[in-house]
Amino acid sequence: MEAKHKYAFYLGCIAPNRYPGSEAAAIKTSKKLGIELVPLKGASCCPAPGAFGSIDLNVWYAMAARNLVLAEQMKMDIALLCNGCYKSIWEVNHKLKHNAELRDGVNEVLKTIDMEYKGSINVYHLAELLYDKNIVGVDKVRDSITNPLKGARIAVHYGCHLIKPRKDREFGDKELLDTEAPTWMEELVAALGATPVEYRQKMQCCGAGGGVRGYDIVHALDIANEKLINLKEVGVDALTDICPFCQLQFDRGQIEIEEKFGVKYNLPVLHFCELLGLAQGMSPQDLALDLHAISCEPFLQKVL
Amino acid sequence: MARIKGYPEALEAKLRDRYVYGDDSHPEFTENVEKISMSIPHLCYQCGTCTASCPSAPRSSYRIRKFVRRVVLGLENEALTDPDLWLCTTCYSCTDRCPRDIAPTDVIMAMRNLAFKRDIIPVNFLKTVQAIYTTGHGVPNNDVNRAARVKLGMDADPPTTHTYKEFIPGIQKILDYYKLKANADRIVKEREG
Repeated sequence: MEAKHKYAFYLGCIAPNRYPGSEAAAIKTSKKLGIELVPLKGASCCPAPGAFGSIDLNVWYAMAARNLVLAEQMKMDIALLCNGCYKSIWEVNHKLKHNAELRDGVNEVLKTIDMEYKGSINVYHLAELLYDKNIVGVDKVRDSITNPLKGARIAVHYGCHLIKPRKDREFGDKELLDTEAPTWMEELVAALGATPVEYRQKMQCCGAGGGVRGYDIVHALDIANEKLINLKEVGVDALTDICPFCQLQFDRGQIEIEEKFGVKYNLPVLHFCELLGLAQGMSPQDLALDLHAISCEPFLQKVL
Repeated sequence: MARIKGYPEALEAKLRDRYVYGDDSHPEFTENVEKISMSIPHLCYQCGTCTASCPSAPRSSYRIRKFVRRVVLGLENEALTDPDLWLCTTCYSCTDRCPRDIAPTDVIMAMRNLAFKRDIIPVNFLKTVQAIYTTGHGVPNNDVNRAARVKLGMDADPPTTHTYKEFIPGIQKILDYYKLKANADRIVKEREG
């Protein structure tokens, strides 16, 4: 059966190279929901908006444009699963479409590798497509579930770069434009049969972005630690995110927080695609959950 | 309406005078930041909403409001040599909440761009450049992950530049166009030998 919606699947770095279960889950769960994700061959790092944007924004524009051109050549819109990638790929696409001077500058560079940015495609985050009634929608997500995550208390970490800065974003669903107290991800979590849990400072950053994790890891971890304290206060079985870099910061970060601050949380951290995979009947092995730094076992025992 | 001597000419002249001139003050710094950030920091009335929204502020001396003020005053050296410049996580909370519609996050990014032109940059940023130059990825694949991918029934390497290495020269050409790799190598070598 031909899928109704087809996208070039932009992978980024951390999902395929650190949490491959998220990539596997994204492809498999999307297929069940009528979305075909086609490999975007030859794509590179988005490039990392914090690292490259800080050094020279012009390089950031040109490198992101190269990835966009690859999808333009396939005549397909891009779908991706990382907030950091969304910042680079969506935002550069948006800027180049609306700013002729920038576009000309980028095309001058791309000419040296026989490429031309045309501005002919759009970029979407998978979470956005899952929530969008015209593509998938919460009801269809709920209908696709064979293993409801009953009894699990799950908190959401939205991350920053999908929805912020709000003034620049253009979502069809106005719910996605709320950056102070959004609940659309909680709706998706509830659709999996789990109980979404609110907590203090839900919208705070994970602390890893902007190159800070590499520049001053104790500072970055302290920001993540504040969120973990707030999560412990309400008691959750897992934290879910839609950004592999946030996931890495909270997952591996817990090991580093234990080393540096002497506190232990053992809170499983799962990308929403992994959660959706579990709820659609994928096994922990299908999701390579053993690669996580923090064991998902206590959470799995509750939901499997 | 209150009238001052020379109104409206004197007032208009004052309003035109955006910059404070002093030995440390460089009006072109303000202009450069505005151009790169595509934001208008001199609209700032120093309310501090940005600092109050900042996750880095409570755990450091980083004050985004202070950096915006430095831009307005043209205090280039003071701004670019402050190590706190690199503590912004780019969460964009300040940008979302700024009542003057400034994008303080982008103002910080513009200052970082200008700092890099003077070789002021933490090495971790440059190492990301080096990794992408060689592999196309900022976070490249490794053996543990390759084994896990195979167990999942996937190819050991993702269908990115890792598999299609013929795309890497194109990436290198883009980075070389801006002399980014050469500069990164030189600065890393100076710092680490």
